[in-house]
Parts: sequence; structure tokens; C-alpha cells
Amino acid sequence: MSVLKEFTKGLWKELPPFRLVLGLCPTLAVTNSAENGLGMGAAVVFVLTLSNMIISMVRHIIPAKVRIACFIVIAASLVVAVELLMQAYAYPLYQRLGIFVPLIVVNCIILGRAEAFAAKNGVAASAADGLGMGLGFTMSLTFLGSIREILGNGTWFGMAVMPEGYEPLRIMVQAPGAFICLGLILAGMNMLAFRQARRKGEQAEALARQQQGCGACGGCAACGAGARDAQAQ
Amino acid sequence: MRDMLRMIVVLSMLCGLSGFALSYLKMITAPRIEEQVLANVQGPAIKRVFPYAENDPIGERRRFEADGRSFIVFPVRSGGALVGVALEHGSKGYGGDVNIMVGFNIADDTLAGIGATTLKETPGLGMRIAEPAFTGQFPGQKAPVGLSSGGGVIDGVSGATISSAGAVGAVNNAAAVYARLKKDILAAWAQ
Amino acid sequence: MEIFQLFIAAVFVNNIVLAQYLGNCPYLGCSKERGVALGMGGAVIFVIVVSTFFTWIMQKCVLDPLGLGYLQTIVFIVVIAALVQFVEMFLKKMLPPLYAALGIFLPLITTNCAVMGVAILVQREEYDLLTSVLYGLASSMGFTLALLLMAGIRERLDTCRLPKAMAGTPIALIMAGLMSLAFMGFKGMAN
Repeated sequence: MSVLKEFTKGLWKELPPFRLVLGLCPTLAVTNSAENGLGMGAAVVFVLTLSNMIISMVRHIIPAKVRIACFIVIAASLVVAVELLMQAYAYPLYQRLGIFVPLIVVNCIILGRAEAFAAKNGVAASAADGLGMGLGFTMSLTFLGSIREILGNGTWFGMAVMPEGYEPLRIMVQAPGAFICLGLILAGMNMLAFRQARRKGEQAEALARQQQGCGACGGCAACGAGARDAQAQ
Repeated sequence: MRDMLRMIVVLSMLCGLSGFALSYLKMITAPRIEEQVLANVQGPAIKRVFPYAENDPIGERRRFEADGRSFIVFPVRSGGALVGVALEHGSKGYGGDVNIMVGFNIADDTLAGIGATTLKETPGLGMRIAEPAFTGQFPGQKAPVGLSSGGGVIDGVSGATISSAGAVGAVNNAAAVYARLKKDILAAWAQ
Repeated sequence: MEIFQLFIAAVFVNNIVLAQYLGNCPYLGCSKERGVALGMGGAVIFVIVVSTFFTWIMQKCVLDPLGLGYLQTIVFIVVIAALVQFVEMFLKKMLPPLYAALGIFLPLITTNCAVMGVAILVQREEYDLLTSVLYGLASSMGFTLALLLMAGIRERLDTCRLPKAMAGTPIALIMAGLMSLAFMGFKGMAN
């Protein structure tokens, strides 16, 4: 039951990167088409689930002082594995995602989940958390990629979906479109959260969560703080 | 002290394990990666040079030794007979190496065409050596070719002399290798 | 002249945040006040320059000769993480005033993808050591510029009335989009 809860929270309640604002760079960079978003998401699911599992398995062996270093080594190894597998089985996608494949290793979502969840929980729960968060991330990226591809190119997964005379808004598949589109989606998510909260009369809590959401590098700060106290000891 | 030791042991074990696992993964994926790189980087260039190829040039590729280096040669068949081969060579350009896939007609040793594979030239300037306006001048020529500024037959891309010279140099390098290997090539694919 | 071009290109045309989507977390997280933005920018400039230098040496002197190019990601992240720790310890001991200014930002930088991104980009572009370091300097200056501009805007924005749902990250992202649109105006100035 609780494993199911860990899995589903990533799909809506803590949906990254829309609710839990983590891992913005790949979110913005690779979502110029739905397919790229999906491919990036799949790579993140692989790394996140396995890194959560492995970290949870070895969490009692790792000395607290070097745990961040260990997490980084584990995550980086998995990223290299993904790079090799992508080159072997999805080379065109690997070319399109470019440097953002190796950059999965510095995606806050990986270290953030390792520090916040996998280091404290059992293997099954950690795997569920990683899988849920990863799938949530994939959904979000595919969604954002779909919007940008449809508006900016008139296609969806490469198929033409817009009527004949549609003039594509090129700006949507370029950098400004990425920022503006994500900003509007986040605003929409906030609105939804407020509406829900009003219905439940929990305005204060929702406000607090929204304030937290502002610190876009909340997760990075967590890792950073972890590295700091690891070093201070 | 014991803590320190434990830290070092855990970290080095972790690194060792991951290094071992990754080198194993690298070993088993290496042949497939090579295939994929060829199919996605060299493949389109070969297709551009030999649109009429009826076989799979990448699947039938072979390695040959020349000048102490090994070259991959891609055979092209049409109607069952070997009509041409493609091989890649490079030369210094403006932004780095200019790598060109050069196709040769077996019958008369003329150039069948060229296609750029990896270029790091200036966009909009040197990069135009990959465009048909430049590459279209090569089919039918006999190597060695030269730029028109040096009395040759190829008009360089204006404003990008170094890139153009790099492309011409790569073609001539490939032609030299082809001339040296022709006998081996014919022997290798003659049924 | 070429160095000047490289700077213009890296700071304005291909701004690392606004055109290459790198380092967005600190760009949005540390741009609430100008003082904080300046501190973060300084720390990033420092770390990027140093780490580009070391990762370049690592790549050319260790990874390439041993044929371990596929381990690039893991080696770079370990080098960067270790480097950030060393820089922090060094500043604490030797330059306390600088440490007081930059210290709290340093641990955040390991997970700043701009650092790792620049280290990988200069390898993919095959720059030499000097160009790499200069490119690192220029792109981190571009990062600082974008960060400072954003902080300036957000300080003013504090006095405005915004729809509740827009406050915080959403409006910051939309402004980043507009800024990126403005920076697109530099296109064509240099490549």
C-alpha cells in the first residue's frame, strides 16, 4: 500500500518539474519536440530508478561523510551506462539530446531524490519513488514537448496535426518559447493548487508550498547543504 | 582513523565496481555503437553520393591498410555488379578537420560525388562546402582536383578559401588512398 | 580579434543561460537580490575557469591516451566535485574575505549544470587549452550578466502587484523568456 503511495505521489502530488521545481535545464532544453521529451524522460527514469535502488541498498554501508560523493559516483556510472546504451540502440536520439545526456548526472532530481528519499528508505519504496518521479518527469516533458512542437512546428511526434494553413510559431521551439511556456504551465499549476486549497480551506498551507516552490533550486540547495555538512564534520 | 579507513575502502570499492561494470558494458556495446555511428554519420553521406546503391554499403564494409592507417571502404552495387566504392578522408579546414566521404566510379576512376560527414566550419560560410552548389562540382572529375584560384576546376565557396581548400585536400587524400588500394578493393569484392 | 569574437559570441549570442539552457536552477533560484546574484556569479566564474582548465587536462592527458573517452561523464563530475571542495578549503584558509563573499555559493555549484556543460562543450568543440579557458571565462561572464539583469528586474518586481498564481517562479520564467527573446537580437553579430 505505502509502496503504491510512493509511486503515485510523483505522478501528481509532487509531479516534477511542475510541482517540485527540479531539473529545469533538461526540461527547457530538450522539449522542442514531444519525442525528445519522451526520450529524455526515459533516460531519467532508468537512471533515477536504479540509482534510488542502489543507494537504498548500500545506504547502511556508506559513511555519512562521503555519502554525497558516493551518490555522485553511482549516478554518474548509471549515466555513462545510459550513454552507452543510447549510442547502441537509439543513436539519432543521442545525437539530438546532445550534451544533455551526460548532464543528467547534475540534474537536481537525481541527487535530490537520493538525499531526500533513497538514503532513508527501503529498496522497494525507493524504487517506487524513483519510478514514480521518473514517470512524472517523463509525462511533464512529453506534455511540454507536445505543446511546443504543435505550436512551433505544427506537428506532434512528427505527424502533421495542424490544419493546412497554419503558420507555425517558430519562437515556441526556440529558447524564449521554452521559458514562457514553462512559466505559464507553472502559473496554471499554482492556480489549480489554489483552487483546490480554497475548496478545502487550506489556503495557508498552499501558500507556504508555493513559496517553497520559488526556490527553484530547493533540491540543489539540499544537496549543497548535504555536501557542506559532510565537509564540515 | 577507522572511520577514515572505512571511507576510503567504501569509496574505492564503489569506484572499482562501477569501473568494472562499465568497461564490461562498453565491451558488449562497442560493435553496435560502431555500427550505429556508421549508419547515422557516414550512412547519409554515402546515400547522397550513391543514391542508386542497391546493396547495403555499411553492412558490406571492409577495412584496408594503407599508409600505416586503416580505412573503411564501402562497396556500392547496382544490378549485382560493383559499380563504385566510397571512403572517408580528412584534411585541415578552418575550424578543425574537414571529413569528406568520397565516392569513386570503379569503371573509369572518376569521382562519383562527395558528401561531408563531420565539419566544424563557420556556419553560413565555411559550412557551405556541404551544400550542393559546392559538392555538385565534383562528380565526373578526375582526381587530383584543384581550386580555380590555383588553376583547377573547382570554384571555392567565396569567403571560405580555407574550408574549400580543406574539402579539396580531403578529396585528393581519399583519391590517393583509392589509387593505392584499387587492386585490393577489386580483389576483395570480385566474386 | 578572434578572442574578441569568442567573447561576444559566448556572452551575447550564445548566452549560456538564455540560449543554451544551462544553469537554470541558480538563474532562477539566486536572482532575487543583486548582492546574492553578484556573489553567485563570481563563484561561478571562478569555478568554471578552474574546472575547465583541469577537466581539459584530464581529458587530453588521461582519458584520450588510455582510450577511456566513454568515462568522460563520471571523471568530469568527480573532478568538479573534488575541485569545488578544494577551492572552498583553499579560500577559507588563504583568502577569508573572498570566502566570506563566495563561500556559501560554492557547494551549490557542483550541481550547476553550467560548469559540467562548459567542460563537455569545449571537448565537443575541440578547442585548445587557451581557447577552452577563455570560452569558460566568457560564458560564465554571460551567466553573471544574465543573473544580474534578472536580479535587477526582480527587485523592482517586488513592488508590483501580481496575480497570486504568477508570483515567484512562473513570472521569473516568463521574464527569462522575454530576456532570451531580446538576446536573440544579437544573432548574426558573431558566431
